[in-house]
Amino acid sequence: MKKNSIIVLALMVTAGCSSKSAVTPDQVTPDQVTTNQATPLAVPSLPSGYGFDQWQTGPLGDAFFEFDSSTLSTEAQEQLKQNGIWLESNALKKALVEGHCDERGTSEYNLALGDRRATSVKEFLVRYGVAPSRLETVSFGEERPFAAGHNEESWSKNRRAHFVQK
Amino acid sequence: MFQLFNRVVPSIFFAFFCLVILPLNLSAAETGEYIAIRKEGSGNIALVLDKLDANGTKESRFAQSLDTIMYDGLDFTKLFALISPPLNVRDYSDKKNVVINFGALTSVGAEVYAGGSLTRKSGMINLDMKVYDASGSKLLLSKTYTGREEGLRSIGHAFCADLVELLTGKKSVFGSKIVFVSNKNGFKEVYECDFDGYGVQQLTNAKSIAMNPAISPDGRSLAYISFAPGRPTLYIRDLAGGTIASVGKSGVSIDPGWRNNSEVAATLSLDGNQAIYLVKTDGSLSKRVTNNKSIDISPAFSPDGTRMAFVSSRNGLPQIFIQDIQSGLVKRLTFSGRYNTQPSWSPLGDKIAYTTWEKNGEINIFVINTDGSGLLQLTQNNGENKSPSWSPDGEMIVYTSNRQGKEKMYVMSSKGGNERLLLQGDDLQTQPSWSLFR
Repeated sequence: MKKNSIIVLALMVTAGCSSKSAVTPDQVTPDQVTTNQATPLAVPSLPSGYGFDQWQTGPLGDAFFEFDSSTLSTEAQEQLKQNGIWLESNALKKALVEGHCDERGTSEYNLALGDRRATSVKEFLVRYGVAPSRLETVSFGEERPFAAGHNEESWSKNRRAHFVQK
Repeated sequence: MFQLFNRVVPSIFFAFFCLVILPLNLSAAETGEYIAIRKEGSGNIALVLDKLDANGTKESRFAQSLDTIMYDGLDFTKLFALISPPLNVRDYSDKKNVVINFGALTSVGAEVYAGGSLTRKSGMINLDMKVYDASGSKLLLSKTYTGREEGLRSIGHAFCADLVELLTGKKSVFGSKIVFVSNKNGFKEVYECDFDGYGVQQLTNAKSIAMNPAISPDGRSLAYISFAPGRPTLYIRDLAGGTIASVGKSGVSIDPGWRNNSEVAATLSLDGNQAIYLVKTDGSLSKRVTNNKSIDISPAFSPDGTRMAFVSSRNGLPQIFIQDIQSGLVKRLTFSGRYNTQPSWSPLGDKIAYTTWEKNGEINIFVINTDGSGLLQLTQNNGENKSPSWSPDGEMIVYTSNRQGKEKMYVMSSKGGNERLLLQGDDLQTQPSWSLFR
């Protein structure tokens, strides 16, 4: 089921979602879903927290992480491959990869963890063939959360490597 | 052989003893004696702080202010049981000589009596203070403190500092500063205040995110992290001259900790790995300290700078380790708790305070001996308690807590207890760090 979701995401990305992505969760219509026989993707409460949301406004999708982890899940790797394809066909474009964490734990450790998340995303894309000079990394730790809630639903959205096209 | 040994060693010891003791003057020797007596009795020092004598309207007003300043200052330390002065403590029958009624003092349980008078001359305040051992009716201190009328607080605190040092043999908190981060102006900026929360001053105005301010042991330099250049970057500011050095052309900088007055350690991810480096105050790198694929952050040095406590994820979740700087040998310090961060080395060198993120969601402050023994929990049942930092005398710890909603600065005894809010306000206060200087 998750794989189907990824395929939908991938199709949408490669179909050329422009800078203001139309693929916010509440805009996914039943029609779009039934074509792939899958449940709606990126429902806010998706257990893994993975998927598109209103904070991804560019052609490059974000990678999400488990608690205290900078390891790339299969889903994250699939997303990054799509990002890699886009970067390949837009060879002049650069991107900033921001590492983010949820608010739990302590802020210094989260700043380091965010740095590791951004770095592991960059390393994956460099291995994929993207020139290192096209990818800059930074960490915001827990300083700039996306979702404001104090529960797993928000936390899962805040554990991410966020792409900003340069 | 044994006899020779027995004869030689005591004489060497005696020679050493003389070397140490002889340079000290008489009053210091007396003080030492007093401290020795106190240690046996432990607990708070029963002190009568008498109202100041003053002649004249203005003088009386200044005297009253100083009474309050000294009382509040001594009360803040929680080292004293402050006893109201008995009515007949001073006998004025002899107009030239005020006589202290020691009988009245001992009957209210006072161990120490402090009192004095205030005079004024051309805008300058003179505070004459005398401290007596109440039981032995022995004069322990007689000193005049002089300062401008606007500087009443520092005049009063200078006496408080002397009194604490006299009675405990240790440095006091008076004159020390606390730097911290506040979002008062809508951004995260570095601020400082006095040890008791008085006199808040804004130190940065970058309208960005500032983190983890720390003042050098001599009080001359401020190290902190700023997001102003777009990435978390280490800044070292000369507080007098105002010059700023920045460190780290790539990667992020995290949580600086001073080793001495000329070297600060911080995490720099220069090669993509979060490792701890020593940096000079001009911003140049002096040495890479940790070399491990994991996260290494939050350096906190022993007072002599030979050892460094830090946080590492080398075993999985973050734990606190101690590294010997010269040999590079690393020993794990914390084994209790799955997520231990934010070490702070006590100024006396024997203990490390840190935080544990517990299973129940609380974050609590613990203190542990540097050899891993004597684990002591200082906070509990009060939400998230973070960023412990020792007072220069090792008696108190400043930290933050969200027990009343927003994260704010608190202080407590370093043995636990006496937890209280340090600074009122609607702002968010984070990452306090207590200076060593005064």
